[in-house]
Amino acid sequence: MRYYSSRSALAVLFLFPLLWSGWSSLRGQDGGYTLGNYAQMARFGEGLPRYFGNSLLVSVITVAGTVVVSALGGYAFARFRFPGKNLLFLATLAILMVPYATILIPLYVLLGYVGLQNSLVGLALVFVMFQLPFATYMMRNSFEAVPKELEEAAMVDGCGSLRALIGILLPAVRPGLITVGLFAFLASWNDFFAPLILLNDGSSFPLPVAVVSMTQKTFGAIDYGMLQAGVMVMAVPCLLLFLVLQRYYVRGFMSGALRG
Amino acid sequence: MFRRLPAITAAALLAAALAACGGGEPAGSASAGSSGPVTVTMWTRAATQAQSQRLVDAYNKTHKNQVKLTVIPTDNYQPRIAAAAGAKQLPDIFAADVIFVPNYTSQGLFLDITDRIAKLPFKDALAPSHMRLGTYENRQYTLPHTLDLSVWFWNKDLYKKAGLDPEKGPTTLKEFAEQATTVQEKLGKDGKVHGTFFGGNCGGCYVFTFWPSVWAAGGDVMNEDGTQSLVDKPPMTDVFAIYRSLYEKGVTGPTTKEEQGPTWTGFFPKGEIGVMPMPSTTLGSMPADMKIGVAPIAGPDGGESTFVGGDSVGISATSQHPDEAWDFLSWSVSDEAQVEVMAKNKDVVARTDLADNKYSSADPRVVLINSLVAKGRTPYALKFGQTFNDPQGPWLRLAREAVFGDASKVASLNESVNQSLQQ
Amino acid sequence: MAGPVSGTVHVTAARAGRGRRAPARPGTLRALAGMAYAAPTAVIVLTLFLAPLVLVVVMSLHRWPLLGAPTFNAPANYAKIADDPLFPGAVVFTLKYTAIITVLLSALALGLALLVQERRPGVGFFRTAFFLPGAVGFAAAALLFYGMLNNDVGPFGFLGVKWTGTPNMALTSTIVLVLWRFAGFNMLILLTGLQSIPVEVYEAARSDGASRWQVFTRITLPLLRPTLALMLILSITGSLLAFDQFFIFTNGGPDNSTVSMVMVIYRNAFFKFDLGGAAAISVVLLAVLVALNTLQLKVLR
Repeated sequence: MRYYSSRSALAVLFLFPLLWSGWSSLRGQDGGYTLGNYAQMARFGEGLPRYFGNSLLVSVITVAGTVVVSALGGYAFARFRFPGKNLLFLATLAILMVPYATILIPLYVLLGYVGLQNSLVGLALVFVMFQLPFATYMMRNSFEAVPKELEEAAMVDGCGSLRALIGILLPAVRPGLITVGLFAFLASWNDFFAPLILLNDGSSFPLPVAVVSMTQKTFGAIDYGMLQAGVMVMAVPCLLLFLVLQRYYVRGFMSGALRG
Repeated sequence: MFRRLPAITAAALLAAALAACGGGEPAGSASAGSSGPVTVTMWTRAATQAQSQRLVDAYNKTHKNQVKLTVIPTDNYQPRIAAAAGAKQLPDIFAADVIFVPNYTSQGLFLDITDRIAKLPFKDALAPSHMRLGTYENRQYTLPHTLDLSVWFWNKDLYKKAGLDPEKGPTTLKEFAEQATTVQEKLGKDGKVHGTFFGGNCGGCYVFTFWPSVWAAGGDVMNEDGTQSLVDKPPMTDVFAIYRSLYEKGVTGPTTKEEQGPTWTGFFPKGEIGVMPMPSTTLGSMPADMKIGVAPIAGPDGGESTFVGGDSVGISATSQHPDEAWDFLSWSVSDEAQVEVMAKNKDVVARTDLADNKYSSADPRVVLINSLVAKGRTPYALKFGQTFNDPQGPWLRLAREAVFGDASKVASLNESVNQSLQQ
Repeated sequence: MAGPVSGTVHVTAARAGRGRRAPARPGTLRALAGMAYAAPTAVIVLTLFLAPLVLVVVMSLHRWPLLGAPTFNAPANYAKIADDPLFPGAVVFTLKYTAIITVLLSALALGLALLVQERRPGVGFFRTAFFLPGAVGFAAAALLFYGMLNNDVGPFGFLGVKWTGTPNMALTSTIVLVLWRFAGFNMLILLTGLQSIPVEVYEAARSDGASRWQVFTRITLPLLRPTLALMLILSITGSLLAFDQFFIFTNGGPDNSTVSMVMVIYRNAFFKFDLGGAAAISVVLLAVLVALNTLQLKVLR
């Protein structure tokens, strides 16, 4: 029983903030229970569905982009030798070391130049870039964990490396792919600063920017109920996705993918 | 070949990016010569969204050209403007906290509209302090957009319960302190009600609520061109001392010292505060059944003044549609917009000649607030934001030492205020 | 599953040897294929990372106004970094924060990982519970804590503690927020390492009569080293670049006691419109991080 009591106490500590947030999002100004905070949010600005849709679109593009780029890149880094390989890998990891706040202005200039200013696609590309260190590292190690004999057997059969990748390797690294996709989703769904800086037009704002606008709409008075409703609207899709994909990402990590 | 392709692409992109940055040419895609209705883009901060939205809606209903409003979170408005300017992607029109306008004009963000303003028949009636801050090197760049004045609100019900005359608000800062103390002593025992409140960890709040007392006493906080600080001298130090004793006696609400600004106006409408400085724009959103008195902010021994805050609005220097943008701006200060949109919703009008209008006369408090526009001040300094509003700026340190900490440090901290102003 | 400490260096070396021995596939063709797979990564890294980075370096050498032409002024932006009244304090604070977070986060994550490493009924629930805060975005988490630690609406008002009122409390509250948000993720990383330690190693140790503490210090920790190294690098890099938590939650206060280095960069760029100065600090910070991480990799490998 001691096994469970200490762990349960810890679990309560970790879950408490989420439960409190959910509870207080349902409280009205008068102290009663109400869906009023959510209803008020739904009507804000262009309407909640619009912001939700923007967030979804950015996240889907980011997930797709991250998964494709990091799967190909991870394969290249794990299985091939080519000039500049180590340099490119280190450059990819170096993305982790740049202060977010500074690189956004040059990025803004750059996206404007290629015609991707104020565009959800441009924003998604930036998210893909920020996801690459984690995703590439994870995918490289996932591929390395797959026994080489699998791939070599396919090659001997006359398959090219691309067919070996699609037919044999990708299914083998599926947990890694799902983990990478999940983290790409979380990062792009939740980010506040990049969309704030990179998007010019209120109707293309994703949820976090809209939520923060909502809570700051009156000067000097925060509506705490609405604030927590906003937290919930942002968090619940992520929590659900987390629970649904649990078995995969745990296996993604366990498949040796993050070993140093 | 293959290997070099990305490198070439990157080099080309980089060169292009540098070119885009270095050149002064705005990279807008819309051509100005096209006919048909034009959509003009406009940004505003969330705090004044309600007023901007009402103006835009009324304009769009009656005009062929349309204004498209984007609302940006208040705390992130300045970074957003900076980033957009850096990338030359400012909207056609943007509003800004009037305090930041001198800095923006000195950075060249706004289009010179001196000649257009000169043609307005009511140009001399435009809110004087907003107009002064929008003037840089004798050229004018902005019009008043919204006005937000600091005034004292007192809670008449609490005054009655505390044995004070509910119809007599404070006329000096000392009376303010006495009345707040009475409310605290009579009603503060359960810990719910407090004498007064202010944003004690919020530079902009100090500026907005304390400085009018300095002006009302005939003093000043800075020299004329905003390069020399006077906040280490009376009457500023007298004002600090009065608030300090209120804090020491426990008359201020329990979170006064920690209040960073986001919630500082939230306590009064809950009926928890006896008397405190408040933004005039909150009057319209107070609970309907709450009896509130409004008085001008006074100095320690009398006088009256106010901080004329709010937003100014201008056309961005890179706009492709300056004529269409001006059409909206000039309409927004017209009689029609000021009376039927602003005054109708209890907002302060941007023109002194409309202070007394058919809507304001229904509420003497609104007339009082409108009348303060001409008496109030908006301090001018190029480096205002980074000195006084920024939570990392030197003013907040100084004010907090003066009110909560070691008041003897004020003199040396005033030096860092000066440094920041002169940067 | 691969062995416990299969460092990638060895794997790559082994593979390199094999590639040379395969006569059927000319190396150049295979190298071309590898480049083709790496091309999307290369394009993104070059255009969206290195190109803006070069622009940051260029900016750091200029007085760079928001609008209008920049003027070359090197090395003025670098020279004045030391004059920024906030910067020395920010460096000290960021280092202090990094040290505290790294120690506490490692300890907590390791503790949690040890608690949930055995397969037992219900262990999945505990793993999920510890990991779930990681699903909440950092901005949302900061907003959540902002409300929860507000004494008017939060559940802890009755304690009367001023959560962000004093420098120490503000730092403590922020650390609790960061631990809550990131402990689960780091737990999972460590769990990966723990799971890859073969059961036989433990059994052998136990049959030799080793105590639990001896098993932990002599077997678990050494075999966990590569995983711990990865976690340390992520934690240290992340902490040195800390921004959101202070920006949203404490706003640098009270009295500038929680101003991190990136907050100084942010203030210079977005409040003082000194893009050149902000870029200079960023370049220095990036150089320090690259050097530090290279060193860490060398030491910890």
